[in-house]
Amino acid sequence: MDASQALAELTELSSQVKRAVVLDASGAILGATDADAAAAEELARAALDLVGAAGDVHASPDEVARVEVELAAGGLFVLREGGLTIAATTGPRPTSGLVAYDLRTCLRAIDPPARKGRRGARARTGEGEG
Amino acid sequence: MRRLFRLALVVALAVWAWRSLLGERGPRERASVAYADGSSLVLEPGSAGFERLAAPARRVLVP
Repeated sequence: MDASQALAELTELSSQVKRAVVLDASGAILGATDADAAAAEELARAALDLVGAAGDVHASPDEVARVEVELAAGGLFVLREGGLTIAATTGPRPTSGLVAYDLRTCLRAIDPPARKGRRGARARTGEGEG
Repeated sequence: MRRLFRLALVVALAVWAWRSLLGERGPRERASVAYADGSSLVLEPGSAGFERLAAPARRVLVP
């Protein structure tokens, strides 16, 4: 399935995930739950910034695989696997392990051809239509 | 069987009471990072690392 289908399944199955976006290795958006393209871009940018900051706090240059930030307002989760990155927001006090499992399942459900940088979210959210 | 049911009920009530009376209060804030080499970090609120990670999260979580 493509990224948009996998995200639709994710939001259907997970009661904790509010918003999510899938990015390819270059940081381009493959799919998003947000109908608003600007909101999806904002979440994608936050995810990339978070991964960058997570890379900076570690002594070795190893790749960041997962970042979780829990604040009073909610949680932001970023998971990277197989060249894809998924970022998701949750409400306060999320069940971290369960959210991470759901995000990993979502990433693994995405077919390999969809991993090559198709800008699915932009098409789906209306950007470039008309 | 009835005794077993009562015991389960008592245990459930005890766990609920423990969590509601003695559990942590207030918002829980934390950040954790896992790396491809299997290492991981947990950053506590107030640390510089936590603030670095919290900044992008606040942009999308705090209205």
